[in-house]
Parts: sequence; C-alpha cells; structure tokens
Amino acid sequence: MNYLNYAAAVFLLIPIAAIAINNICPKPYMKKNFHTLTGTVAVFQIAAAAYALCAMNANGLTAYDFSILSNLKITGSALFRLTPVSLIFLLCIGMVAFVSVAVASKTVESMRISYVNLLMTMLIGMNGMVLVKDLFTLYVFLDVVGISSFVLISLFRSTKALEGSVKYLVISEFATIFILTALAFIFMQTGSLAYQDIGGVLEGADGSQKNLIYLSIALLIAGFSIKAGAVPFHSWLPDAHQSADTAVSILLSGIVIKIAGVYGLFMVVSLFPGVRAVQIALAAIGVASILTGALLALRQTHFKRIVAYSSVSQIGYILLGLSCGTTVGLIGAVAHVFSHAAFKTTLFSNAAALHEQVGTLDIDKMGGLQSRMPVTSLSSVVAFLSTAGIPPFAGFWSKLLIIIALWTSGSAVLGGVALIASIFTCAYLLRLQKKVFFGETPEHLKNVTEVKGGIKFVEIALTVITSATGILFPLVLIYLQSRGLI
Amino acid sequence: MYGWILVIGILTPLLGALLLPVIGKYNVKLRNRTAFALVAVSFVCAAAALFGVFGDKLFSIRFALPLGLSFGFRADALAVFMALTASFVSMIIVLYSYGYIHHYENQNEYYMMVVVFVGAMMGIVYSTNLIALYVFWEISSLCCWRLIGFYRQEITIRRANKTFLVTVLGALIMLVGFFGIYGQTGTFELMAMNGVHIPDWTVALILFGILSKSATFPLHSWLPDAGVAPSPVTSLLHAAVLVKIGVFAYARLFILTFDVSKSFQTIVPTIAAVSALYCAGVAFKENDIKRVLAYSTISQLSFILLGLSCGEKIGIVGGLLYILAHSTAKAGLFLCAGIVEHSLHTKDMRKMGGLAKQMPLTALAFAFCMFSIMGIPPFLGFFTKHMVIEGIIENGNVLLGALFILCAVMTVLYLVRLYIKVFFGPLNFPTETFTAEAFAKVKEGSKIMVVSVMILGIASLALGIFSYLPSQLASMIWG
Repeated sequence: MNYLNYAAAVFLLIPIAAIAINNICPKPYMKKNFHTLTGTVAVFQIAAAAYALCAMNANGLTAYDFSILSNLKITGSALFRLTPVSLIFLLCIGMVAFVSVAVASKTVESMRISYVNLLMTMLIGMNGMVLVKDLFTLYVFLDVVGISSFVLISLFRSTKALEGSVKYLVISEFATIFILTALAFIFMQTGSLAYQDIGGVLEGADGSQKNLIYLSIALLIAGFSIKAGAVPFHSWLPDAHQSADTAVSILLSGIVIKIAGVYGLFMVVSLFPGVRAVQIALAAIGVASILTGALLALRQTHFKRIVAYSSVSQIGYILLGLSCGTTVGLIGAVAHVFSHAAFKTTLFSNAAALHEQVGTLDIDKMGGLQSRMPVTSLSSVVAFLSTAGIPPFAGFWSKLLIIIALWTSGSAVLGGVALIASIFTCAYLLRLQKKVFFGETPEHLKNVTEVKGGIKFVEIALTVITSATGILFPLVLIYLQSRGLI
Repeated sequence: MYGWILVIGILTPLLGALLLPVIGKYNVKLRNRTAFALVAVSFVCAAAALFGVFGDKLFSIRFALPLGLSFGFRADALAVFMALTASFVSMIIVLYSYGYIHHYENQNEYYMMVVVFVGAMMGIVYSTNLIALYVFWEISSLCCWRLIGFYRQEITIRRANKTFLVTVLGALIMLVGFFGIYGQTGTFELMAMNGVHIPDWTVALILFGILSKSATFPLHSWLPDAGVAPSPVTSLLHAAVLVKIGVFAYARLFILTFDVSKSFQTIVPTIAAVSALYCAGVAFKENDIKRVLAYSTISQLSFILLGLSCGEKIGIVGGLLYILAHSTAKAGLFLCAGIVEHSLHTKDMRKMGGLAKQMPLTALAFAFCMFSIMGIPPFLGFFTKHMVIEGIIENGNVLLGALFILCAVMTVLYLVRLYIKVFFGPLNFPTETFTAEAFAKVKEGSKIMVVSVMILGIASLALGIFSYLPSQLASMIWG
C-alpha cells in the first residue's frame, strides 16, 4: 500500500523535479540530453501507472485517495484520487509524452530547454486534471494545460504557428469563461465544488435553481467540447495541429484534446448521471463530429491536416460512447481514448518521418514511398486500419463496444450511423495511403530512405501496441466480466 | 478436444503468414514452400474434420466472451465442404504463383496476404458467432486490398481502393443488420438463434453485405475492375474463394440459421436473374480476356445464389455443389488466362489467336474448365446447373427458370467466342510490335503453371464423373 503512495506521487513530483534539473544543469549539457530527461519522466509515468493499476487490482481497490505534503489523517486534506479510469488516462499520457519526446529528439533543433519546461508543465497539468477531486482544481490544471499548449504551438516562431496558436488561444478563452461561469453557478447551489458534493444537486433543486444548473451543465459541455475540438467548436483544431511542430502535434492530437476535453466531459457525465439532456447533447455533438470531421478530412492535401480532422471525427466516437450513460459505453469510450492515443500518435510519427525524409507534407507531392520507407508505411497502414475500425486492430474493439453500448441503450439509429460513417474514415485514409505510400514514385523521391532513430523506434513500438491490443482484447473483455463490469 | 484441430487450421495460416516476409528475406524458395505448407495445413485440418461430419460428433470449440460475443468454431457439413473447396483451390493457386510472380517486386507481401486470406477464409467458414464472422470477413477484405494493389500503378491502386471501399461498406451495412438481430435476441451466437425469425430490414441489410462481397448486380463493378491484379490473385479472390464468401454467408445465415420471410424466395432469385443476364450480356462485349471471365463469374455466382435462395432441397444442394464446380473451373480459367497473358504480355483478345498450337496443354485445360462452366455433361458444372434450375422450377417459378436457361445458353456462346478468339483462328498480332517470328517463340507457361491448370481441368472432369462423392456431403448440409 505504501508503494502505491509513492507511485501516486510520481505523477506530480517527477515532472516538477525534471523542470528543476532542466534549469539547474548547464545549458549545453541539457540541450544535448533533453530527450533523456523527458524520456525518463515518461517512462516513470508509464511504469507508475501500470504498477498502480496492478496494485489496485490486486487489492481490489476502486479508488485510492492520496495527498502530497500534507497529512492524510486530517479530513479533506486528500486532494487527489487514483481510480482505474484515471490510471488508464495517465498511462495514455505517459505513452504519448514518450512518443513526443522520441520524435522531438529528431525534429526539435532549437528551443530545447523551453520545450522541456513546457512539456513538463503540460504533463503536470494533464496529470493534475485526472487526479483531482474537485471541479475548481480541475479548472486550474486545465488552464495550466491550455497555456503550455499555446506556447508550445508557437514556440518555433513561424507565422503559421503563431496564427494557429492565437486562434486556439482566443477560442479556448471562451471555453475557460464558460467553465468558470458554470462553476460559479454550481457553487451557488452547493457551496462546494468537490465531486462528492455535486452529485445530488439536481435532485434537491427546484424551478429556477434547476434551470441554473441546466445552464451550467450546458456551459460545461460547451466549454469542454471546445477543448476537445468537437463539432461545432472544431475550427481551431486543424490549424493548431497542423502548424505546430510535429512533436507538439502529437501531444495535442494524441492526448491534450482528450484530457482537456474528453476527460472534462467524462466528469460531467459521471457527476450528472442519467440526465437525458446531457446524453442527447453529447450524442448530437458526437454524430456531428464524426460526420463533419470525416467529410472535411476527405478534401485536405496536407498530411497533418487530414490526421487532425480525423481526430475531430474520432473524438465523436468517444463522445457517443459517453452519451450512452451505461458502463459498457464508458468502457468503450475509455478504450477508444487508448486506441486513439496509439493510432493517432502513430500517424503523427509518420508525419514526422515523412517531413524528415521527404521534406514536405503535401500528399500531392509524394507517392510510392512504401518500398523506400517500409517501416513508416507498414505502421501507417496498421494505424489506418485501426482508425477505420477494421479488425483485428485495437480500434475495432473500442468501436465495437461503443456501438454495442449505443444499441443496448436504445440509440440504434445512432449506432447504425456511427458504423456506416466508418466508410468515410476508410475513404480519406485510403486516399492518403494511395497518394503517399502506394502508386508510382516521382523522380525526385527516388533517393528517399527510411527514417532512423527515435521516430523509427516509436513507429514500431506503437504498431506492436495497436496490433497486440487488438489481438489480446478478448482477454480484457474476460477480465472486465470477471470484475462484474460488463 | 478435436475442436483444436479447427483452431490449428485457422491460426496456422493466419500467424504463420507473418513469418513469410522474414523467411523471404533470406531464402525465397523456403518462403514459397512454407506458404504452400501453411495452406496445406488448412486443407489437412478440413479433411480431418470430415471424420466429425461422417462420425457422430462434430468438431467444435468455443471461447466465451461477455456481451454475447465469443470465438466459437464448429465444423459442420457446410463448413467442411467450403473449407475443403477453398483450401484445395488455394493450394493450386499458391503452386501456380511460383511460376507466375517470381520476377516481380513485393513477393513477400504477396505470399503473406495470400496465406492470411486462406486463414481468414477458414475463420469465416468455421465461425459460430456473427462478430467473429465479421472479423474474419474484414480480414479477407484487407488481404483483397493489398493483393489487388500488387502492381504499384496508379490504376491498380485506385481499383484496389475501390474494391476495399465497396466490400467494407457492404460489411459495415451487414454489421448494422447483425446489430439489428442483436437488439432482438441479445446475442451474436448463431447456435442460440436457430430458427429465430428475423425482421425483413435486417435481412435486407445483411443481403447488401452478401451481394457486395459476391459481386452481384448492382454491386458488381469492382470485380471486373479488379482484373488489374496478377492472374493468380484474380483467380483466388475473384473466382475461386473470395466471392464465395458471400454465398456461403447466405447459406449459413438464411438457410441453416434464421427463419426469413418467404418473399425473399422471390426477391433474391429475381436479383440473381437480373445480375446473371446483364453480366452475361456484357461478357459478349468485352475484349479483355480477364474482364470476360470476371463478368462470367458474376453471372455464374447468380446461379449459385439462385440455387440457394429458391427454397427447394434440390436447388440448395445444387447451389452448394455449384460452389465447388465453379471454384475449380473458374480458377482454372483465370490461371490459363494468366499463362496466355504471361507469354503474350497483353490481355486484349483481339491481339490473340491460334494459340492452341503453341500451348496445347493450356488450351486443353482451358477447354475442360470451360466445359464445366458451360454445363456440358459429364463435367460437374452440368449436374449443378441442372439442379439449380430444377430447384427454381420446382418452386413454381417457371419464368425465372426460363431466364436462367437463356443465361446458360449465353454462357456457352460467350465462352465459345472467347475460346475461338484466343486459341483458334488466324493470328491477330499487330505486326510492328509482335511479328510472326516472335509469335513462333510463344511457348507454354512454366511447368508448374501448366501442371496447376491441368490439375484443375482434370478435377472439373473427375468431380463430374464421381459427382456422387461431393453430393453426398452437400446433401448432408441440408439435413
């Protein structure tokens, strides 16, 4: 049990320690070894999350409260809580951070010290969000994530990146205003923002109070949907994700939209369980995101833009899972967060590899790279199939769970639409595959070679994760059944 | 206990295929032989499962999962019949590939995908759960995508994508139908749904998936387009095995498991009739040898669908036997076309002629397979064609029967046209590129290729003469 306490502390203390080391050590040394430091932090996070998951399972715990720098015995001192769901989010954060670092070791040439500082700040923010026990601290950490992302996007000072960053900043400010207002309304009703105090607020309320709470729920959903990049709040996402350095895009698309957005919505769903309006709103946003994201992706010619629009579309599936309000739906949503983290980071790593080796990300200028970059090509095919939900890869199972949840909770039509919309996913990714990897090779690409080092390593590792998760997912189902969850 | 034999029959090709690219890096010959061995394992496992069918206890195994999911495999008569047919033809096609593709790039991918495809096919035929069926179904689409895109030209990639999109769209719509059944019964288990009546809209959705995979009008156009693939691929996917998945699913779901409305006994044969006549007509117009054969495939698949959907025992048994007859014969025809294309470097029939002299064995094998497709006695195709047409007439639908007889006549005519253009008559070569001297040098394909097509040709004849053997198995399917 003591070890669990240490493991829990890893998530917040190690990034802080890393920031300290980064700024104390001599600059030339850190510039050379920035990826070792950040990579170690990510590995620690993955290991701690995996350990804590096993330990909680072995002890049969469903929640574990802990605090840092204060005595647990004092009531209300435990600010943080580990749950299996938050651990899966933490695992995803660690995984994506690791990939980002591996890619950054190739792509980030300047501003390395700042990159490390910002990455670690962002890590603290994301870890904090999933660990806290009250909405206000969640909001604080949310802004930590937001601010570090704005700076990370514009870190390398290209005009486009600044534009993307400012767009993100402006739209995000609306999100923070919405969320803060909602918190104020809720606080007026309950006098507390701790999760356990908010639970029953709707039951006790009458007339105008009830309306106020519904208004605050609406504001929360809008705020977190902006952060998640869901339709109709998606317009910042492709610009920001495309213009940032690929190492940063990986963070944004792979995890930030899911922690800042989806996790917030996850909290809304679990704080107001069974509220029909929440479910309808999420379902509507979900379906709109799936269709719009996929249709817009069909028209793009920039590799990263296609993948960014694909994020919009996939976030829609996660929201649909949340909208069911059943355990199966939640499990499906969390599973899709994981599989999306794996395949989306793969696709962005491919983008990094192509940018390094080919020098452009315009898919019209590429072709026939499969024989020249076999690892990149194979990993992108696997990621594409997982995105499209083609068995036997990870994405198939998470989508299947979401569809089953939709069907059993009575939204058969939504389930059907979500299923058939997968064909658009197939279509835009097939187009990308055809233009980049298959087809004939233009003359100027005859000498392209496979990428080496960190990027190649993460491409292989992520492909293994996506395939292994897909093949071994039946075991996860059996485990969940043994815990009585499905 | 014996159920594990089925698991071996599925997993050996599925997982073993992943080794092929590794082996291929070091030893090409070993890779080719391993590929053959992996497919042969499936064949042997299917043959072993025959003991279960003729004995008293079927081979079966089941791994239960929550939510009505499971991975269950069961070798009943239909499954074994399909598994034997598919793995036998696949073995021949792998052998043929040794000769056909040895000088192209991407061979590692080719052999891997062919073997994975066979594994997926085994998975489809043995599965007892709708989701498991869907999983293997999609794996087969995936292989199809890579195999059609074997040559990396713009057009092949585009057509591979087209095939993938059409078949995946079909599969997704079919999955919606499966979920419709799930919503009603709460399970995906086929065994638990025996005799359950399912609503018409789910049948229609599932039928959409079946027709897209079996390339039936109006979802057929991907099949002739996919002829840009190497001939063994065309043979494997578009003649012998892949397109049979759809009709197999029809037999598995609508004949053996669910109770569907009687009206589908008119609707499906009507769709089949339109498809058969339309595509037989188009086959007259085409000049690309592989496109003629592809349209012929679509037309012949309608005969199978007719037999299965007519609701009479003789028709259903005939339809099942038709799967065997068509798999062997059409695979042979495509492989022969491959030999011709390989030697002449063209697929245009207008530039061929008189090849019977240069390639007597190929011409002979082609003739044998052709007779079976035409339905000339005593080839197997004759018996099966007779049975399916008798089925529809017994059901009282004389008009459809007449239409199919007309279609059978058309089959004879367009195949004779093809044969005369390719193997008889004067040379029709453009003299500037392909002179008479060059023509004189045109030879048979490599030994292994000719042997492969001869096996298929002779099999078409032998299966006809000894047709009581497969029909015994086929008649057990319907009980």
